[in-house]
Amino acid sequence: MNKESAVSTINEPLNVAQTFSGPQASPPQTSSSGIVRFVRGLLVSDYFVLYLTIVFFSVSSIFFTTLANPGNIANQVQNMWPLLAVAIGQTFVLIIGGIDLSVGATMGITSVVGAVVMAETLDPAFFDKSPLWGTLMRESGGILAGSPFAVPAAVIVMLLLGTFIGFLNGFAITRFRLAPFMVTLVTSTFFAAFALWLTQSRNISGIPDSFVMLGKGDIISIFLGEKLTPDIARRDILPFITYPFLITVGLAIMAQFILSRTVFGRRMFSIGTNRKASEISGVPNTSVTIRVYMFSGFCAAVASILYSARLAIGQPSLGGGNLLLDIIGAAVIGGTSLFGGKGSIRGTFFGVAFFVLLLNILNAMRLSPFVIDAVKGFIILIAALLDITRTRLANRQAGSGA
Amino acid sequence: MNNLVKKSLLLIVALALGTFAFGVATAQDGQTICFAFQDLETEFWVAGHRAITDTLRGQGIEVLEYNANEDPNRQLEQVRECITQGVDGIIIIPQDGDSANTIIAEAQASDVPIAVFNRPPNDTSAGVVVVADNVSATEQAVEFIAQKALRQFEITGEAVTPLILVGALQDTNAIGRRDGFFNVITRYNERYPGLFNEPIEVATEWDAATALSNLEAAITAKPEVDFIFTSSDFLFPTIRSVLEPRGMWVPAGQPGHVLLAGLDGDATACMLIDEGYVDATGVQNLFLEAELTMDRLLQAIADGETAPNEVLLDPGFALTAGNIYFQRDEMWGCLLYDEGFLDQ
Repeated sequence: MNKESAVSTINEPLNVAQTFSGPQASPPQTSSSGIVRFVRGLLVSDYFVLYLTIVFFSVSSIFFTTLANPGNIANQVQNMWPLLAVAIGQTFVLIIGGIDLSVGATMGITSVVGAVVMAETLDPAFFDKSPLWGTLMRESGGILAGSPFAVPAAVIVMLLLGTFIGFLNGFAITRFRLAPFMVTLVTSTFFAAFALWLTQSRNISGIPDSFVMLGKGDIISIFLGEKLTPDIARRDILPFITYPFLITVGLAIMAQFILSRTVFGRRMFSIGTNRKASEISGVPNTSVTIRVYMFSGFCAAVASILYSARLAIGQPSLGGGNLLLDIIGAAVIGGTSLFGGKGSIRGTFFGVAFFVLLLNILNAMRLSPFVIDAVKGFIILIAALLDITRTRLANRQAGSGA
Repeated sequence: MNNLVKKSLLLIVALALGTFAFGVATAQDGQTICFAFQDLETEFWVAGHRAITDTLRGQGIEVLEYNANEDPNRQLEQVRECITQGVDGIIIIPQDGDSANTIIAEAQASDVPIAVFNRPPNDTSAGVVVVADNVSATEQAVEFIAQKALRQFEITGEAVTPLILVGALQDTNAIGRRDGFFNVITRYNERYPGLFNEPIEVATEWDAATALSNLEAAITAKPEVDFIFTSSDFLFPTIRSVLEPRGMWVPAGQPGHVLLAGLDGDATACMLIDEGYVDATGVQNLFLEAELTMDRLLQAIADGETAPNEVLLDPGFALTAGNIYFQRDEMWGCLLYDEGFLDQ
């Protein structure tokens, strides 16, 4: 048996999520009633959040008819993609029992650096105090302004920078044995301030149209209904297949494949479940952890591309505010455990869908925006409590079923 | 039933109730306006929010409120949501001028009229843009001080030494306020030669700590300063902390009073005018701006105009020690002050 397969064999029993989750894992508790078994199966199911989302949507649509409006559905689906992109990376980090608080700042700095590469014009009145003025930033634009390679180069630079920031996080966490919370908080503070310093707190506009297409370009749009006038109003054309959709779904498929079909994925679950045991079992904790943080930085850069393109600006404050709460909240709602060892991209997708729908419903209720924020926090708390309950339930089922 | 399952069911019920308990609304007939603001962290925005929502609701118009928490991407999503909900018009307070342009384009592409309240987009050619005329409001406040300085000059024959706390000059508001200040000083010096000495400029970068250190240095170097204009009222506490230890924080009518003026019209300025320490402040006429925004938007909706493009200026006014009893109800800061805003 070679080392690789040995590690896989050792790791498989540690994969709590894969072993215990799923409705088919119902224990043989003969004394329980059928309803209890059904509810229990539902609770531990991988599709629990999806069921919850469908129920929420169906019930809410009765009261708030705008929710079922095709335009609203298309809009909410489009809102999901950038959030999902960054939440995928966070899911990876949470699975190994870490946390990445720097994703917001990574988005901000990559947004700025990408814009510095490709901006077509820059106003000296705004940027003449920037440390980059006269070297990387000029009145005629960024480094590659006007070049046909400007946009591809900017995208590559953004992805590389995001991955590099992830590497810094992973390196500091593993080499210096620092708490992920502390390391990523420091990274976040540093890069958020760095982005503001580079631009002197200004947004960078003059972004090429081909980049903007990445954020809001429709590949396939649809129109529902009878065409009564020669021109169809823009608001009646619904985005269906868009660039953000393709990019994020591609990223999600790749991430799900890594998690469920590779040794690397198994090692991640192993580290998250029991770091010491995985180390003793021969799992290279250091390199896996570093790569996971690099992937998180990469995903943050992908989200940065989508968000920056959508607004057509390089924005130093991108990723600030409550976005981090949304990212972690969506992952946790999707069943990713804050204690590590449990999670899936499918779950995160459901979590993001639930989160976006929840906001949509709260808005449809005409609640005060301040109440909405409070409710959001409350829902995340309930999701975290449910996570604990579901884990206990799954463990009990496994215990009694073994 | 198993305890754990019971608890889980309880949590799910709490989740559902928690969401729905805040109220179930039904679709309403009549006009609907979407009001998407970036946040309400300063006195000015709180008062603006209230002026707009109260007035619209008072007219029987349904208002959908969205708080972007200073995230322009979130604001874009919210505006898109408003569009899909079929609102008749949109009012935004954007996070910045750049994102404002994208949001305006999004609304106009969907044939929904949009108005921008108080924070202008970089390109003001699209949308209804309501902005304060910083030059005019500053001129009115400084004019009042210049009149007082002139009376003092005619009695004593001594020139007045003015000092201006300048904002961050990449901000068009700061530039307008500085221009307004110098316009009046220059005009009065031409009419009454020798009235004002060369003004002292103190940089603040809109930062209280920077303002404090620079003002201390300036007053130490030139203690004869007898007129201070701050480009924003939020710096009055900073000015006080510099003047008070030097015995220069004295109300009007007493020997040693330093003439003080500012711009914004916040609650602190109102209180200090009441107490006699501040002589005047240029007020962004928040209520007028709210009215201009709503009137133009409602007119566009009534006319079926989907992309109204117009810049509407608020000339502002000066609230002074002389008119505070007549005009305090027009100043948003005084309304907040009278409601006990500063006691919180």
